[in-house]
Amino acid sequence: MNDDVILKTDHLSKSFFKYQVLTDVNYQLNRGQIAAIIGPNGAGKSTFFNLVTGYHAVSGGNVYFRGKEITNWARHKIARIGITRAFQVSNIYPKLTTYENVRQSILAQQKRTLNFFTPAERLAKNETLSLLETTGLSGFRNTEAGILSQGDKKKLELALALASKPDLLLLDEPTAGMSSEETHETMQLVKRLNKDIGLSILFTEHDISVIFGYAQKLSVLHQGVLVAEGTPEEVRQNKEAQACYLGEEI
Amino acid sequence: MDKKNGFLKRFRLPAGLFFVALILPLVVTEFWVHVFTEIIILGLFASAFNLIFGYMGQLSFGQAAYYGIGAYTTGLLMVKLQWPLIACLPASMITAGLGALILGYFCVKLRGIYFAILTMAFGQLVFFIIFQWYSFTGGDNGLQGINPPVWLFKANAYYYFSLAVVTVGMILLYFITESPFGYTMKAIRDNTERTEFIGINVQRYMLINFVISGMFCGLAGALWGPFNRSVAPDLCSWQNSGHPVFMAVMGGPYHFLGPMIGSVIFTFLNAFVTGFTEYWPLVSGLVMIIVVLLMPGGLFGIIKSKGYFETKAVVLEGNNPGDTGDKKK
Repeated sequence: MNDDVILKTDHLSKSFFKYQVLTDVNYQLNRGQIAAIIGPNGAGKSTFFNLVTGYHAVSGGNVYFRGKEITNWARHKIARIGITRAFQVSNIYPKLTTYENVRQSILAQQKRTLNFFTPAERLAKNETLSLLETTGLSGFRNTEAGILSQGDKKKLELALALASKPDLLLLDEPTAGMSSEETHETMQLVKRLNKDIGLSILFTEHDISVIFGYAQKLSVLHQGVLVAEGTPEEVRQNKEAQACYLGEEI
Repeated sequence: MDKKNGFLKRFRLPAGLFFVALILPLVVTEFWVHVFTEIIILGLFASAFNLIFGYMGQLSFGQAAYYGIGAYTTGLLMVKLQWPLIACLPASMITAGLGALILGYFCVKLRGIYFAILTMAFGQLVFFIIFQWYSFTGGDNGLQGINPPVWLFKANAYYYFSLAVVTVGMILLYFITESPFGYTMKAIRDNTERTEFIGINVQRYMLINFVISGMFCGLAGALWGPFNRSVAPDLCSWQNSGHPVFMAVMGGPYHFLGPMIGSVIFTFLNAFVTGFTEYWPLVSGLVMIIVVLLMPGGLFGIIKSKGYFETKAVVLEGNNPGDTGDKKK
């Protein structure tokens, strides 16, 4: 496999009982790329993420990360090798404070969670505060995460994912529930992370301006089948993609 | 200054309770010294149980098995091998921990009601093994003659000995709950899925926690045998597994001292009510209903909702001087 390829799926398929939700998806993401998978609701975008991250067992095909096969690995093992994700519906620790949420993820990344006798509050202070600052959550550090606004929960989930220092970040509708200003801030952050540390990013999104504003590569899923792929401009011109998702004119 | 205030605020309650516990035997009758000894031993049992319930978010209905294993280990070692009590305590922790490791391996694969049922089933398994194994455990007759050393024979002496052991046990438990491992347990309780996605092997961590809980349940059991001068299979029964559940729910499972306070309430009620009526379980059931309906977070839940024990903000302030815009709940 080409060294530039960070994620590759080979005939990836998933069925739930008799329902085929993903069929023979051959996908490739290059290192340092920002890419998006788009498609109508039920197209299989989240299922694709679920298969890559071990959330669901694969029914057929294989997943490769940096050339290594990771098909059906345990979720924590996949996270450990450098793939993290943010969910469509924010998936945070609602009873912990924002600070504790981020610190927990940092301590896990630093492999310090089997420490029994050092108070957690003494550890990873600077890293936690810095990441809260980066994600614009400093003002909420003592707030119980469960009562944050939907947009701030999304930001927090992004912070949790970043705390793991991933090589590949999967974002499932990262701006859902955010105001236009928050959307812009979040996607700017994503772009900055991609540029500054070369983080590879794959996201799903419904907001056309976000998709065409930030993705370098687009893939269109329709009823579990990858129907089009290319640069945003190529996809915009693709008849099949237009029919399935984009409408007549953009 | 803030840090100092935070420290004082955080530890004033345990320090006050410890001080009260120190002077109690000087002002009460021997009967009540026995009751207080029971309170602190059961308090340790309930606090160990709460590692699983309050911190990990799973309900174990089988912790009495490890309490019983601890009690029987001490009983057997003292009666059959004449081991000194002080050596029996770590031995009991080890055997209870081993029991928890073997049984917990299967339990942590499950969650929710299935976890609860399996822990109860394993608890009953331990109960029946002890109940049936006459040649080794004495079967339903139990083990008698587990006498503490002469210097601990008096009620006050055994109370202070238990207080010292329980205090050390509680301090260790406190450190564990405030450590990164303790926070990982809270994370698992709050969102198991997310915890896996930050790279933590949830099942492995749950098993470690299960073993730690079992060890401290075993330590509490080890104190119980010499206190009661005997042990019986009932110690491992599912009813006895229910006691720490009562205590944790009454005191408050989301505060470290909740189960200990629950033990005070439970044991006091038991001591009082059994003096008036044989229907103690009826009264405890009524109290439980009231607590669940009116105080869902237990006694500490109510106190916390009034704004006490909010120390984290104090600890964190000052780390980021330019930031004063915390949104407090």
